[in-house]
Amino acid sequence: MLILGIETSCDETAAAVVADGRVVHSSVVSSQVDLHARYGGVVPEEASRAHVDLIVPVVRDALAAAGVTLADLDAVAACHGPGLAGALLVGVSAAKALALAADVPYVGVNHLEAHCGAGWLDHDLATPLAVLLVSGGHTLLVEVAARGEHRVLGSTVDDAAGEAFDKVARFLGLGYPGGPAIDRLAADGDRTAIAFPRAMPGELDASFSGLKTAVVQYVRAHPEAPVADVAASFQEAVVDQLVDKLARAADAVGAATLVLGGGVAANSRLRERTAALAAATGREVFLPPLALCTDNAAMIAAAAAVRLVADGPTPLDAGVDPNLGLG
Amino acid sequence: MTTVLAFDTATDVVTVAVGRHGAVVASRVVESGRAHAEHLVPTVRDVLAEAGLALTALDALAVGVGPGRFTGLRVGVTTAKALALALDVPVVGLGTLDVIAHPWRDDERDVVAVVDARRREVFWSRYRPRGGRLEPVVAPTVASPADLVAALGTDEVCCVGDGVDRYRAVLAAAPGVECLPPQYSAPSPLALCELADAACAAGAADAPDALVPVYLRESDAVINWEQARPGGPT
Ligand SMILES: [Zn+2]
Repeated sequence: MLILGIETSCDETAAAVVADGRVVHSSVVSSQVDLHARYGGVVPEEASRAHVDLIVPVVRDALAAAGVTLADLDAVAACHGPGLAGALLVGVSAAKALALAADVPYVGVNHLEAHCGAGWLDHDLATPLAVLLVSGGHTLLVEVAARGEHRVLGSTVDDAAGEAFDKVARFLGLGYPGGPAIDRLAADGDRTAIAFPRAMPGELDASFSGLKTAVVQYVRAHPEAPVADVAASFQEAVVDQLVDKLARAADAVGAATLVLGGGVAANSRLRERTAALAAATGREVFLPPLALCTDNAAMIAAAAAVRLVADGPTPLDAGVDPNLGLG
Repeated sequence: MTTVLAFDTATDVVTVAVGRHGAVVASRVVESGRAHAEHLVPTVRDVLAEAGLALTALDALAVGVGPGRFTGLRVGVTTAKALALALDVPVVGLGTLDVIAHPWRDDERDVVAVVDARRREVFWSRYRPRGGRLEPVVAPTVASPADLVAALGTDEVCCVGDGVDRYRAVLAAAPGVECLPPQYSAPSPLALCELADAACAAGAADAPDALVPVYLRESDAVINWEQARPGGPT
């Protein structure tokens, strides 16, 4: 089963061809990060406009790189939420038109479900999984009992983890996106230098807005503090909170495998600590390559294969849901 | 030769038509509100079925490129691009205001097409009927209804489009203006088919990559950013 997947929920225009929900034949991602950098964040109207310009070249590239034509496809899928409404509409409109033209089913895919299933691309994972999904848009702990079966265990009550990285990076003058900048700087800093707070201990939900405020207050009170120490200590506070919750979630569901997903899963300290947690508790761990952590369309096509078998095609009169939840 | 699938989604209406040599073979006009993504592709499917045509029978595509509602515009343009890619046929962009004004090309007065631009503004353009065609007099622009009235002065014109419906009281108060009734506000199937056929005959159909929506307004972020930096973008 060959599926073309399309992803336009935020600031990546992406298309991919995946066989049987597992084998990536092509995966093309055109990032708009340079477009949004000067605004310090993603601008929905600008993102939507860029998706319109990029969608055809990206789909064409994905088909060419896979060496297939539309006639070879068994379905066309697009992310239909959650995400930016105007951005989602571009991918969904393109996917429906391609499905109509190719006379194959259209499949609308939940972005969060796709992130959770990215680990099955070119891999086998022992279930149940405890998935920590962290990005600029979401911070979720998810139990995946079997492929396609999700239960949300916890989420952030305020900012997403990636949002906290962006806000602190902006405050420290490190530019956008904030995650990679803080990760690089933190490598030269002392992560024990400043004791920033760890919010909501003992719970599966997370909170980052208080931490951001604490960083701002600390830097204003200690303008002489080395920025690398601030970055490293902030990062450690985020990672501490995330790994603590992942450990609790893994215990709660008897997880066989720990999985990271989302753009913040690229953070080197989070990867290191997650691997250490898995080793200490005798669990397997899957730390996806960066290309599978960040938004991509291979994960959309993979999730579509599962959805198509379970639920059948999505009607062509279906819309988008910017606030779509999981499970 | 030309069998064309044409549609416009730049207003609250989805108009879809299949035309052959500029005549309408089948068409639908759907009051869609904001749900263009829900309505467009199923309506395309239904209109083709009514016409008894497969998508592969099409020689070209045509789509309204605005100006109009940004979200609707993107649904239409993206759908046209994707269909053109899939079917390997050329696509032509039609100005939505041109389409709305087109049925009045034999009027003795100038025609002003007016589309609601939200935020108390309208997109408008002005045309002069000459020899069964409309010649552009004022290119598409964005303005407040009051500024549009000021621009028209005391000229004898007829105004048409959903911007007329929205600001009928303001426009009708202008001395020379006749406001056409709401049944003429949406892009009509015949106007789409005639303009699409003419554009294809003139060789205007191109690859899908060349198709760009006409927004006529920067996003707020761009406006704010450029205002914050007197030197403009770098
Ligand atoms: Zn994501």
